[in-house]
Amino acid sequence: MLRYVGLRALNGLISIIGLVILVFFLARLTGDPTDLYMPIDAPIEAKQEFAANHGFNDPALVQFGRFATGLLHFDFGESLRQSRPALDLVLEAYPTTLILSAISMTLAIVVSIVVGALAAWRPNGVFDRVSSFISLAGASIPNFWVAIVGVLVFSVWLRWLPTSGTGTVWHWIIPITVLFIRPCGLIVQVVRGSMISALSAAYVKTAFAKGVKDRSIIFVHAIRNAMLPVITVAGDQAAGMINGAVIVEVVFGFPGIGKLMIDSISFRDFAVIQAGVLVTAIAIFALNILIDIAYAMLDPRIRRV
Amino acid sequence: MNFTGGMTGLLVVGLAAVTATPALAQDGSSDIKIVLTSPLDNVDPCNMTAGYIGGVLKQNVIETLADVQASDSAVVPKLATSWERTEPSTWRFHLRENVKFQDGEALDANAVVASIARVLNPAIECRDRFKFFTNIKITTKVVDKNTVDISSEPALALLPTYLAQVGIVSPKTDMAALTKKPVGTGPYQFAEWTPTESIVLDRFDGYWGQKPEVAKATYLFRSESALRASMVEVGEADIAMAISQQDATDPAMDVTYLNSETLRMRMALLPPLNDIRVRKAFNLSVDKQAFIGTILSGETKIATQMMLPSINGYSNDLKPWPYDVEQAKKLIAEAKADGVPTDKEIVLYARIGRFANDEELLQALVQMWLEVGLNVRLQMVESAQWLKLGSKPFASDRQALLMAEGHDNSYGDAVFTAPFYYHSDGSKSELSDPQLDAWITEATDETGEERTKLFQKINNYVAQEIVPDVMLFHMTSVMRVNPRLIYKPNLMTLGKLVLSEITFKD
Repeated sequence: MLRYVGLRALNGLISIIGLVILVFFLARLTGDPTDLYMPIDAPIEAKQEFAANHGFNDPALVQFGRFATGLLHFDFGESLRQSRPALDLVLEAYPTTLILSAISMTLAIVVSIVVGALAAWRPNGVFDRVSSFISLAGASIPNFWVAIVGVLVFSVWLRWLPTSGTGTVWHWIIPITVLFIRPCGLIVQVVRGSMISALSAAYVKTAFAKGVKDRSIIFVHAIRNAMLPVITVAGDQAAGMINGAVIVEVVFGFPGIGKLMIDSISFRDFAVIQAGVLVTAIAIFALNILIDIAYAMLDPRIRRV
Repeated sequence: MNFTGGMTGLLVVGLAAVTATPALAQDGSSDIKIVLTSPLDNVDPCNMTAGYIGGVLKQNVIETLADVQASDSAVVPKLATSWERTEPSTWRFHLRENVKFQDGEALDANAVVASIARVLNPAIECRDRFKFFTNIKITTKVVDKNTVDISSEPALALLPTYLAQVGIVSPKTDMAALTKKPVGTGPYQFAEWTPTESIVLDRFDGYWGQKPEVAKATYLFRSESALRASMVEVGEADIAMAISQQDATDPAMDVTYLNSETLRMRMALLPPLNDIRVRKAFNLSVDKQAFIGTILSGETKIATQMMLPSINGYSNDLKPWPYDVEQAKKLIAEAKADGVPTDKEIVLYARIGRFANDEELLQALVQMWLEVGLNVRLQMVESAQWLKLGSKPFASDRQALLMAEGHDNSYGDAVFTAPFYYHSDGSKSELSDPQLDAWITEATDETGEERTKLFQKINNYVAQEIVPDVMLFHMTSVMRVNPRLIYKPNLMTLGKLVLSEITFKD
């Protein structure tokens, strides 16, 4: 098991190093940020002074050398926009995104497992048809649309919830719901398909024959065997959610990593882009390790790979 | 099945919990909330030329020696009560007495000298320095406690106007680094800044002038226009900036006003755009009136030059180009007959998300040009790419192109437009006309009526003799204002939302 996790970690580390190099050079291919930071009608001399101050005129390899040296000292550089350490900005933004994603994903997994399993219990029954319709709609509707309509209905028309911001628990309801809908819809479909296969297996029929209760057959025997594809999709959705939260963060004014990254990309704030990508890559890498461990725990055959 | 029944029950309980939330009440106090489009990346007073920073700080927290009036662009006293030109390059400013900074320090000549030195300090990347003082040397001299001499090299006829852009900060402000807690002499003190969430300004009881009605202003940041509009509608905010035309659905709350931006299509004067007949054809084939009240607000004005009528140097001689498709086609045919490659593709570059309905407007323009036989293709690009394409040094392999360009002159004088866009040294200029350069230099040094006439002559010459662009519109913005407030936005509001101009109905 330890060897398995160690190998996965080594693979992840190589990917992260490759990603850091790629992001560094790709970001610079998009051009010099000087024009974005200077007043639009600033004289050429002022722009030259700014570019020289920040080393934008240096060859890309020289800039990369500076960045790599800083990285070895855990120095990600300073944000051009905010004149603050880039890593501080990223670490300040992360908790909001993590809380938002963790709550939404937990709710999505719990709800989708229950709904998907119940839908699989009587395929093509009323509950299956209704849940399939709702889950397919949920998986297909764009987040942005749900967010705006959610505000219109619950904040403007009904006046039940605040439109945006992060002040109270009520502020989180629409954003979490918006983030929850899509992965929930998707996972319900995966759980349903996987459970239909599991419920038709011989050991389930044996359990029936022995008079085991329906609840135990679904939630003890069948579900454990149906979980591998669900973990794959849920893991993928969770990783995507860290980035996908950007729409919710932008619309609702949540100060999370998605919004920070979008702003940083727009303004070519290289240090923040690099720090954000690296921290996100490490988070996704850690998530993948957790998924692998979950696989190994559920399926002993994997441990021997 | 029992499980499904349980699920339904849970759903009902959840909905009941949600519906039990108390309705949001509308705030009836003298505190207000203003919702802006984006957070402030920094709050240093030496960056107030950036509209989103100046909009919060200028004349609220930080005051200037002089101020430019929105109504007529007149330069009026603020922290200086008067000034006179003692030498061609030197102005003497007499400071207002008994003025305190919000930290208790007194305003005097030394504080003014220190503030100017701070803006000019190369150790701080001040946008105000980059914009106004890159090629200008400023020197200061304390005459007495309340008098200061300020000189410029080259001599600036409009030095008070330039100084209307320079914030005067407390002498205790860090002179070598950007500050996170600006302290000035304004009617509000900077109370709190949570960079991504809010800024709070509290009324300053020691203010030298009239006490404003608003006691506390909280600035929030939301990038989505519909959300900003909703926040005012439900009482979560009192003022929402930059509402898109589609979201401006309530005439009782939505105020449309001319901002200081003029929209034009700048031309790179390369074949076929190096031929004036082609450039004129571009202008003649645009039905500007068709956009107003449809894609653009009904308050939008057709522009004849890159500044509003309230700016010194605006020429009343200029009239908009008529919409004359036949004449446009005739000019193109003439040019083509003379060997001008009129069917060569010209790319129109525009920035993504510049203003509401921008892409619709640009698509319609392209269609109008295609109809008269011009070959134009629209390409929406990111700001960084757009700025690179439109700023000097231009690429050596540059082809004829159009740049959808907005210019904001809210500083009161044509000198903040002409040198950048029309002088051959201008960072955004496509022109190289020695006669024009000489007039711009002469006008910059002139004062009074002569200055006005010279800039008018420049505007006339550019629009009639060169035709370097398709001049389009003086643009508008929409602000949503809670009906409990009285506030009238003006062309400077986007860069200077003065809280003391806000009053309450009751």
